[in-house]
Parts: sequence; structure tokens; C-alpha cells
Amino acid sequence: MASALEQFVNSVRNLSTHGNLRELYDVVIKSSDVLLKNVQHLDNVLETLDVQQHSLGVLAVLIAKFSVPNASLSDNRFLQTQEFISTCNVEQVRSAPDLFAELCHLFTNYLVETKSPIRGIALLKQAIMRLKYLSENQLTSIHADLCQLCLLSKCFKPALQILDVDIVSICQEIPHANANSSQFDAKYFLLYYYYGGQIYLALKNLDRALYFFEVALSTPAHAVSHIMLEAYKKFILVSLLLHGKVQQIPKYSSKVVLRFIKPLSQPYNDLTNAFVNNNVTEMNNVISKHTEAFTRDRNLGLVKQVSSVLYKKNIQRLTKTFLTLSLTDVASRVGLPGPEDAEKHILDMIDNGQIYATINQKDGMVVFSDEPDKYSGPGVLKALEEELALCMEFDNRILAMDEEIQVNPQYVKKSAGLQEEEQPSKSTYAL
Amino acid sequence: MPLQFMTMAQNVVEPMQVDAPPEDNDNNEETFYVVENSTLDLEAYANSYTGLAKIYRLIYIVDHCPSLRLEALKIAISYIMTTYNVNLYQVLHQRLADITSSMNVPDVAAPSASQDIPSIDNMWIETRLKKAALKLEKLDNDLKNYKGNSIKESIRRGHDDLGDHYLDCGDLSNALKCYSRSRDYCTSSKHVVNMCLNVIKVSVYLQNWSHVLSYVAKAEGTPDFSESQAKESNPVIFSKLRCAAGLAELATRKYKQAAKHFLQASLDHCDFPELLSPGNVAIYGGLCALATFDRPELQKHVVNNGSFKPFLELEPALRDAILKFYESKYAACLRLLDDMKDALLLDLYLAPHVPALYAQIRSRALVQYFSPYMSADLHRMAQAFGRTVPALEDELMRLILDGQIQARIDSHNKVLYARDADQRGATFERGLVVGKEQVRRARMLVLRAAVLRSRISVQSPPREQGEGTQSQMQPVSSVTRN
Repeated sequence: MASALEQFVNSVRNLSTHGNLRELYDVVIKSSDVLLKNVQHLDNVLETLDVQQHSLGVLAVLIAKFSVPNASLSDNRFLQTQEFISTCNVEQVRSAPDLFAELCHLFTNYLVETKSPIRGIALLKQAIMRLKYLSENQLTSIHADLCQLCLLSKCFKPALQILDVDIVSICQEIPHANANSSQFDAKYFLLYYYYGGQIYLALKNLDRALYFFEVALSTPAHAVSHIMLEAYKKFILVSLLLHGKVQQIPKYSSKVVLRFIKPLSQPYNDLTNAFVNNNVTEMNNVISKHTEAFTRDRNLGLVKQVSSVLYKKNIQRLTKTFLTLSLTDVASRVGLPGPEDAEKHILDMIDNGQIYATINQKDGMVVFSDEPDKYSGPGVLKALEEELALCMEFDNRILAMDEEIQVNPQYVKKSAGLQEEEQPSKSTYAL
Repeated sequence: MPLQFMTMAQNVVEPMQVDAPPEDNDNNEETFYVVENSTLDLEAYANSYTGLAKIYRLIYIVDHCPSLRLEALKIAISYIMTTYNVNLYQVLHQRLADITSSMNVPDVAAPSASQDIPSIDNMWIETRLKKAALKLEKLDNDLKNYKGNSIKESIRRGHDDLGDHYLDCGDLSNALKCYSRSRDYCTSSKHVVNMCLNVIKVSVYLQNWSHVLSYVAKAEGTPDFSESQAKESNPVIFSKLRCAAGLAELATRKYKQAAKHFLQASLDHCDFPELLSPGNVAIYGGLCALATFDRPELQKHVVNNGSFKPFLELEPALRDAILKFYESKYAACLRLLDDMKDALLLDLYLAPHVPALYAQIRSRALVQYFSPYMSADLHRMAQAFGRTVPALEDELMRLILDGQIQARIDSHNKVLYARDADQRGATFERGLVVGKEQVRRARMLVLRAAVLRSRISVQSPPREQGEGTQSQMQPVSSVTRN
């Protein structure tokens, strides 16, 4: 065994037993070159280290093993990673989130390359949970990896437990960030919200999907990101599906969105215009005209959903204006080819509870009735109370954040300097 | 009016000759509509305008009304001969030639019509061109002299005269330049207002409506001419400004504003044939008001408006229509309006807005018609509005979706039922939606705070190389953590 490696093993052992994590971290970082040069001996090194006690050292070795291009040695990396993730020392690993995240990225890439993404899902989820990122509502770049694996293996449910949590803080993954640079790679942030949105989309949770895309869209930006562009396209489609119109983009989103991303998604804007005008023929024209673009963006399925929703939307509009209407009229007003199609659509919608109507097949008439009173009974009250509680919870959280800022010495100094005559600690939110 | 006299005289004196250059094929100007038979009294119509307003209006009629085309052209040509506008003269003659050539072939049976067609007068063109050049030179010299003497008032007048001359020659952009240049030499507020009026006039010809509005504002903002006193002390100018503003608002589709402006004009002081005739004011104001005012407004500002009443007397058909509308006799009102439509479509400024205004008036009528009823028979309603039942259904559907009528249609029995809105349900629904939105926003806010705290931001590519470069950069420096 080369002496440099021996030295590495020794210092890792020493520092680990003394619990000097900061120094250990430095050693580990510095020795990555050494490890890379001695790939063939790494398995031996692993044997001398204990996963529990020398987690950081093992971590470094594993990273080195994954970083080596086309390793010819027998591939035990999956098992080793699995063992590491399930038995490592949480405290040690948490002191080096950047390294751990890197390991996870490498691991993910490895799984993607070997075309077995499904094997990693449980493991990454375990990693997120074991390291308490989940319980602390903290976002790491591992989240993005997990979502990627879920999407690739078309196995969405496991990610939900992670996705359903509202993120309140973001893991500091870029270690030597000075005060002005970011502490987390924006790429993984965007990826997480983009992938997450897609997962929700696949599971038909449109509301949440829209939220995720909106987050991706409103990320601060000084340059156009392709992820944002794609998120914008999906945002438009989901927005049409869910609300029948394009939601307003938050005011605080960066100007890049308006200036560059909007013009880049012209087919989608055309589609929106046709949709908002309830014009079926125009929309079909737009779709056939831009089929290629939609297919290239892999959004054709969504576009098709949008087009079928337009029929439903038009039928819903009819319920607002008509008490009775013949099926032929429905078909002609909605733009369907014939009364049979209209009947089918209406039947579907009645089944789904989207409209309240009865079909009189003898006369070929549809009788639209009013919605029954949905808002009575204790169930409504309960739902209402739950909503209220949720609102209040968020309100409290924001108030707490506000307080936190107000007692921040820097803030107090600044605001006192700025407006001496006014009350400095006036809460803007509590008003 | 001497000008009009001259036009008449020339009309008669014109040499009669049919001599059309064989060039033909007038480029199909009636692309969007043609008014077939208009009862418009062309001469009277032309007489109520002067200057370019007259020419433009006549040209518009030429473009859109084949039956009046020839006569309109003749009037326009004879009028143009009193000006220096040689360009337009040639253009009009070209048009005339086109029309006569296309008419003569099929229309041999109407020799009388082709008898008195004026021919192009090359002599006139030359002398006019010369005269215009001479006058321009003289005015230019004068202006230079004034400038040399640096007497402000003279310079201002010089500019104005030059502007007038350009206008006479049909050179609008230069006219506008001259008029606005005189601005620097204005010594009294009267001059400023005068300058503004000149600019407004030219801008109207150029159809530069935002310019018109800004100069109206400028004129009204001049000291000694604030709006409060203007009405008494300077009624002519006040009316003129109101009409110009109204016209600009009309052209930019702000009908309600337009109506308000027009309604402030007063007939006794409404004398500016180079812009609008009093009849125009009545029609523009009346229609816009009908289309946008609700019943109380209509009563207060139109029906009981003493100063606007005389205007309406000029257009009895419109007056009747407004009164019928006010009396809820919508069928009669709409019929009257339909009768007027042809004439309105020949109006240079109003024509593009006629469909929109009529549609608005119809919707307003429909809403008011239904407002007292619980249920209404569609057949009778269709009769009252002169529509077929399906067309009426379409119209009603749009209004219901717009929220203008609270009702639903029973298409089977053809009855319109008023609907009492489910306030309680709507409130619940709205409450829940607002709650959801609030939660969503709060969520976004918390997340955004986290994003900003960790300074996440998409940077340009060199920084966005991905993890690969970063992991290699990491070992370079040691860090203190946490």
C-alpha cells in the first residue's frame, strides 16, 4: 500500500476518534487527489476503515471510486454505497453535506448510466430521511436526484413523501461561499422543482404541479436557464388545464422570464390565445401547426389534454347560460362533430361531477340543473376549519420569520439608520 | 361663405370633356365594405366642412360609396383647385380617370353622367406649382427677416403663415413642424392656445390621436385658460378643444370618454368646419353616449342636457333614437339606428367604430329590456330586437357569460329565466378559493425567503458548469465550516 494512502488512513482514524470533524474534513478534501491516483487500492483502504466510525473517510473513498472513469475492477460500488448510506454516522456526514451530495450525484449518474434507476430510489430516500433533511424541511440537491430517479423509473409514489413537504430552508452545499455568492447550486434547485412538478403532473396533482413550476419559474435569474424555459412551457399548459387561463406570473420573478422566455415559447402562447378565446377550430389549427414543436418538447400529451379540456370548458359555459339545450346545439356550440360526441362528453362530465345535468334521449335535450347546495352540513364546516387552521399556521410561521428579521442586529442597525424619525421596528407584515 | 361660392362657380365653369387615359383597374379600395345607396345630400354635406376635412371626407365617400363616387370626386376636385394642393389634385384626377374609364364601358346608356367630367388641367398645375413656390419663398424670406430683427411676435406669425401655406399645399408634416416651432415665440397664453389649436388641427388630419390629446391637455393647462373659466370666457376655443379631444378618444375606442367630451360642447360656439360639423358632434356624442351610458347618466347628460339639446335637433333621427331608447322602445330605436347606419358608414371618423358602437347599444338595450322580468319569451324578444331566435340566443349567451345579464336560457321552450344567484354558495366558494390562494402565497413566501437567504440565482454559463468543475475546485482551499 502506498505511503500516501497509509497516511490518509491514519489521519482519518486519528481525527475520527478525537471527534475533530473540521480538521478531518480538510484532510479528506485535500486527499482526494491521492485517492484518485491509487484507485486499485481503494478497496483495501475501505477494509481498514469502519463505516460507523470513519464515515467521512469512507465517503471520500467512495467518491473517488465513483469519480474514476470506467473502473475495470469488480463493481461492488452499489453495495458499498448502500452499506454506507444505511449505516454511516449521521453527525459526521452532516458536517460535510457537499461531499455527501456529491456522492449522491455520482451514485445517481452511475445508476442512470447502468439503466437501473429504480434501485436507487429507496436508498436516496433513506439518505434524505436518515440525515434528517426531511424532518427539518430542508432542501438538498439529493432531492433533485431522487426525483430524477423516480421519473426515469416511472415510479412516482416514493418521492411523494419527500415532495409533499414544504421546504423552509436550503442546505448549504457550496462550502466556501463568500457572502455574495450562492450557497446552493441553482441548477439543482431548478431541477428539483421541475422534476417535482413533472411527478405531480404524472400523478394528476395539477395544483401542486403548477406550484412547483411556478417556483421554478420565479427563481431569481440573471440568465436564461433551459430548465426555466421548459418549466414555463409546462406552467402554461398546466395552468390552462387547471384554471382555463394562464395564471399571472409572480411579479417578483426575474425579468429574464418576460424578456427571453416568453418569446421562446411562441407555440404555447398561440395555444393559450386560442384556448382563452374558446375557439376550438383555431386551437386545433395551432396544435397541428406546432405539432413538431410540441413533440420535440415532449409536451404533446399535455397539449392533447388541454384540447380535450377546452370542450369541457365550453360545455361548462353552456351550463351557466342554458337551462335546456338540444344535443345538436351543444355539439355545434362547443365545436364537436356531432350530437353523439356531445352526449359522450356530457355523460363523462356528469359522472365526474363537473356538471349537473340530465340527458333526455327521447327529445335529444340536455337539461342543466343547478349545482346542489354543496356548502351545508358539518363536513363543510370541518373543511373550512381545517383550511383556517392551515392559513393560521402559515401566518404564524411568517410572523415568526418576520420577528426573526426584526431582532436581527444587522437589520435593526440598517433600518434605524435609514429612518430615524420613524419607528424602526414597525412590522410590515403584521400590518 | 366665399369659399363655397367659388367651388360652385368652378364646378360650372369646368370644361366638359371625356378624355380618360386608358389606364384602369382602380385598386380595389372597397375591401371591407361598400355602401350601396346612400341618401346623403352630398353638396350640403361637403358644404359643412372646409379645408382638408372636406377633401378627406369626400375621398372617404369616394372609397366607400360607388353611387356617389363621381359627384364626390367632382366636388373634391373643384374644391382642391382653390388650394395649392397640387399633389392631391393629381391623385384625385387619377381616381376620376379610373372611374370614368371603368364606367364608360358598361354605362353607355348614361351619357349625361359623363358629360361634365372635369379634365386634368396641366396649365393649372404648373401655375399653381409656381405660385406655391413663390409664396413659399416669400414667406421664408419674411421669416428670415423677422428672425434677423428678432421680434418675437413677427417670428411667431411668420411660422404660422408658413404653416398655413404648407397646410394649403397639403404638406402636413412640414405644417406640423412650422406650427410647433412657433411655440418658442409665444408671448401670451392666447398665442399658446392658438398654437395648440393649429397643431391639433394638423394632428387630426394626420390621425395622430395621442398628439391631439396631449395638445388638448396643453391648451387647457395654459394659465389664463384653465377649464373653469374657459367655458364662459372662451367658449369657442373650449368647444373646439372638447370636440378635438372627443374625436381623439373616439378614434382610440374610448367611447365613454369621447361621449363626455362631446357632450360638453355648445352649439352656439361650435364653428370649426375644418374639423367637424355640428351634426358630427351630435352624432358622435349621441352614439357614444347611447353605447356607454346607463339610464341615469343618459337622462342627466343627454336627455336633460340643455346645451347638447340643440345639437340633437340637428340630427332628428338620432334624437328620436335616443328618446326611444330612453322610453324603452328598443325596437323603434334600433330601427331608427339601422336607418342611419348607411350615412354613418360614410363618415370618415365614425365608420370604423359603427359596428362596435351598434353592438354595445344592442347589448345595453337587451340588458335593459330584460331587467324588469323574471322570465321572457325569446320569440317576442327576438321580434322586439329584429333578430332570429338563434341569433338572439347567441347574443344573450355572450351577455350572460359577461355577467351583464343574470339569467339562463331554456332553449327547449325558448324562454329566458332570470336567475337569483346563490349568494351563500358563492360566498363559500370565494372564501375557500381565497383561503387556498393565501396558503399558496404564504408557502411561496417562505420558500422564497429561503431561496433569497441562500442566494440562489441562475447565473450565466461559466458559473453554471455543474457539479463536475465545482468538485474539482473544492480541494483548492480549506474552509471553516459552521
